[in-house]
Amino acid sequence: MADLSKVGTEFSPIIWEVERGKISELAKAIGDPNPIYQDRRAATGDGYKDTPASPTFLTVPMMWCGKMPEMISSLKINFMMVLHGEEEYEYYREIYPGDVITGTPKVVKMEEKTSKSGSKMDMISLEILYTNQNGEKVAKARSLLVERK
Amino acid sequence: MAKEEGSFKDMNVGFVMPDVVKGPVQKMQLVMYAGASGDFNPLHTDDDFAKAVGMKDGVIAHGMLIMGFVGQAVTTWVPKKSLRKFGVRFAGMTKPGNTITISGSVTDKRVENGEDIITCSVVAKDETGDVKVTGSFSAALPLKG
Repeated sequence: MADLSKVGTEFSPIIWEVERGKISELAKAIGDPNPIYQDRRAATGDGYKDTPASPTFLTVPMMWCGKMPEMISSLKINFMMVLHGEEEYEYYREIYPGDVITGTPKVVKMEEKTSKSGSKMDMISLEILYTNQNGEKVAKARSLLVERK
Repeated sequence: MAKEEGSFKDMNVGFVMPDVVKGPVQKMQLVMYAGASGDFNPLHTDDDFAKAVGMKDGVIAHGMLIMGFVGQAVTTWVPKKSLRKFGVRFAGMTKPGNTITISGSVTDKRVENGEDIITCSVVAKDETGDVKVTGSFSAALPLKG
């Protein structure tokens, strides 16, 4: 079960260079036909500087950076019992190809809860504020992980 | 590409967005999503593994793929660049073969930091009405579309 004393832990930063192909690939995997993710002219025609990252793109640096196993084990969470409970993004600026974004995952809350059926769970809230290569805030990601016990 | 998108003036509380239908979800799509997102948990791509951890029908979809479906719906309703906040709660598991319908409606409308903001609730359900995702988003809309 999760070590609830680890609240406040900060992990080493995720540093991620955003590639045009990855923006396109994620939209294709979702099956989102919006041309702004595929075609620079469609994007600029719609008022973007370039092909923008889609609303859930920040899952890409989170998962591809490979830090999840380290984070899960350092918090003493049983990987087999963990569920993704919630995900939330606040958007401040567009993310474009060539941007280098940096975010430091923080454990902002850890608590034990009891479900209506009486089973106990640990709720772990992670927060990552991403900035770009110019030091500008681009987005904040919040994730709630639920460990069944 | 010109699209019909809502303007702040037209979107009042209770305004219902047109449903967006996605799927049916295919196993190949889960493989593509694993590669695109970097989430290689075999629960989503390996039937034998999924069955071994208690999923009797095999693999289930990544929750973030379904959030991606909802994100697609949201950005057909409002321009992506107007999106300020988007959050979901994962309520149920999606299996290959499920068809997902995303619905939304305006729950609040206000001026905040000089921007005209709407907040909408969203829900994604499968063909049997089983809820997969609930959530909400806020967007800053132009006065004219």
